[in-house]
Amino acid sequence: MTLAAGALTTQTNPLNRVLDLHRRYYYYKRTHLTSSIMSQRTERRGIHVDQSDLLCKKGCGYYGNAAWQGLCSKCWREEYQRVRQKQIQDDWALAEKLQREEDAAYASSHGAQTQPHGQSSAPHPGHASLGPFSKFEEKKTNEKTRKVTTVKKFFSPSSRTPPKKETQEGKTPSPSISRHSSFETDQVSRDFVDFLKNLQRPGREIHKQCRAFIVNMSSKKDLSAEELSECVQDFYQNMADRLMSHFKGSSESVEQVMDQVEKYIMTRLYKGVFCPETSDDERKDLATQNRIRALHWVTIQMLCVSMDEEIPEVSENVVKAITDVIEMDSKRVPRDKLACITRCSKHIFSAIRITKNEPASADDFLPALIYIVLKANPPRLQSNIQYITRFCNPSRLMTGEDGYYFTNLCCATAFIEKLDAQSLNLSPEEFERYMSGQASPRLHSSEGDWALAGSAPDATAVATTNPVLVQLNQNLELLSGLISKQERVTEAAQSLQADLLSWPQSVEREVHGVLEKYPLEVAPRTVSAIDANNVDNDNLPPPLTPQVFAG
Amino acid sequence: MSAIRVDAKVVMLGKESVGKTSLVERYVHNRFLVGPYQNTIGAAFVAKPIQIGEKVVTLGVWDTAGSERYEAMSRIYYRGARAAIVCYDLTDSSSFQRARFWVKELQNCEEHCKIYLCGTKGDLIEGDRSVRQIDYHDAQDFAEEIGAQHFETSSKTGKNVDELFYKVAEDYNNSAFQYMTEETGVDLGQKKDSYFYSCCHNN
Ligand SMILES: Nc1nc2c(ncn2[C@@H]2O[C@H](COP(=O)(O)OP(=O)(O)O)[C@@H](O)[C@H]2O)c(=O)[nH]1
Ligand SMILES: [Mg+2]
Repeated sequence: MTLAAGALTTQTNPLNRVLDLHRRYYYYKRTHLTSSIMSQRTERRGIHVDQSDLLCKKGCGYYGNAAWQGLCSKCWREEYQRVRQKQIQDDWALAEKLQREEDAAYASSHGAQTQPHGQSSAPHPGHASLGPFSKFEEKKTNEKTRKVTTVKKFFSPSSRTPPKKETQEGKTPSPSISRHSSFETDQVSRDFVDFLKNLQRPGREIHKQCRAFIVNMSSKKDLSAEELSECVQDFYQNMADRLMSHFKGSSESVEQVMDQVEKYIMTRLYKGVFCPETSDDERKDLATQNRIRALHWVTIQMLCVSMDEEIPEVSENVVKAITDVIEMDSKRVPRDKLACITRCSKHIFSAIRITKNEPASADDFLPALIYIVLKANPPRLQSNIQYITRFCNPSRLMTGEDGYYFTNLCCATAFIEKLDAQSLNLSPEEFERYMSGQASPRLHSSEGDWALAGSAPDATAVATTNPVLVQLNQNLELLSGLISKQERVTEAAQSLQADLLSWPQSVEREVHGVLEKYPLEVAPRTVSAIDANNVDNDNLPPPLTPQVFAG
Repeated sequence: MSAIRVDAKVVMLGKESVGKTSLVERYVHNRFLVGPYQNTIGAAFVAKPIQIGEKVVTLGVWDTAGSERYEAMSRIYYRGARAAIVCYDLTDSSSFQRARFWVKELQNCEEHCKIYLCGTKGDLIEGDRSVRQIDYHDAQDFAEEIGAQHFETSSKTGKNVDELFYKVAEDYNNSAFQYMTEETGVDLGQKKDSYFYSCCHNN
């Protein structure tokens, strides 16, 4: 906890952090972190777990994790890379198939037309090269660049022959690969091609460039998160510029295409660039998650949120808002993630409007969003924010409504990270006591009293009249009863443990006493051979002897 | 989904209760609410298209939470804004000090952001000259010094409100073409911030 509070208060806002990242990110050994958490857990419960149960199944010595199929994060990533490699090949195969279909469609509709060739110049080392759509023919002479031709062969209609060589290039034998995720990506690819068909020739070009870009990116696994982001952003920018000149400045059409491009590209790249190993996103996720857990005691009144959850419609909207913000983690495309945030925000606005009977403003919205985030504790919140920041088409993120809500989410997260006594109008002592769990605000401030500083007599008066509070108080009594019972059980268990520890000693002592009292005296007369008493029975059969069998 | 495509981001800044929300509210819905606890009215994000000559410019206006407890986060809000309306209350000199602070912040952090200095609650001083705490010429001098436009508005009467936003849209429209041509010649080193000034190359 102190880790979360201490480490994060220095960085006030997530966007600043994003900008700073490329300067000061460091490689964090997540395996380290996982293992320390594991050992903490086992210590605390006092349960002995065989160490080997927790170790990575690859036997690398680090701890494994059920979520990673018993592997440590490093081995899991390696394993996953291999799967991904295979997926890329599958993608190739699919793209090829789709391309052939598409070509066939073109061939039938366009007859013998000049074949478009759009690669304008040698690819920039970092970025797939983009050619202006309007100048296909002129650029024909320029296509001498080797790197692109392999890609191009797939997609240019002239190469009808199956490109055997290329498909083999990327092949590394990798058995036992699951293909469950490829269904979604296949569907996205199909949709993308369908969409581009309407655009005729520029559509082919866009497809070509996106493919080339994805292939290009798959060879850059080692780049930092910021570098990956830059590649994608540059690609967006170049693509948008080309589209802009193609559509003669109609930003509507450009944005429409860009949305599809983002969807296609990011569905493909998602696994490799979401919470990449080279960033410390995962550490931040854990820190934020723990921080939010530690703040479980923060009440809606402390945040001055104008949502009355006792109104059924309001609590319905609150639940929906929570669901939406949690759902964000399940989306792959940045824009889909953004849409979750927007939906969440709209539900918050509804909840406020119903409570206050007037439209909500920024003053109502931000605290309410903070409250929702605290209640939801959305999975991988930091990773998701970073991913959106890095890979979302910027025009959407920056100016529009989605951008506004996203910015508020960043603010809410920053607020939660650096939240202190002052930000909740509490005294530092109170804050400390709530944080450490020594006290709960529910115990001495009344729930029904919306004003924060309800005086003690008021609180008890309300508590005896409001049935909800009566129930609440009963529950609290029950809980404190349980706590004392538990303490008694713990004491008993401890004395039992002490007894168990001393038991062998007392037994030993007793045995010693007995041994001293009755020392073992060996009588010389006792020749205690069993057969000695059977002298007469000579006609017994001979004793069995072990026999050796071959084989 | 979220339908309206926005051309430029305009952010409202200023001390709590100078009347930012009221200004947005008045502009967008053409209304003004009064009452004891009416410091929270209107919407947080509004997009309104404005006809400028033959073109339509859509401003996305970002209201900010006024409470001081969120002040540290304001920077996140004005990132990438093409215009900032920095408000001060004509009857409250401390709010003008706060406005100076915001101007300095913007000058340091957002060089592409145009600043509009806006004295609010003009109706109050019309009723009673003596409540005015910020002299018109002092504010005007300050505006000229920082190269900002200066307005005195009233959300109650609606005076100067439409003019203010029209000016913002007009300036954006004039600069947009110029900015786009600059943009194509931008060096790669700047691209890192592409997230933050993207609004400029989509029209
Ligand atoms: N008389 C008058 N009162 C105003 C004007 N603008 C805002 N107010 C009042 O000032 C208070 C704060 O306004 P609000 O818009 O919530 O300020 P914000 O915190 O900056 O958003 C409210 O009570 C408004 O009614 C105005 O132009 N004239
Ligand atoms: Mg306000």
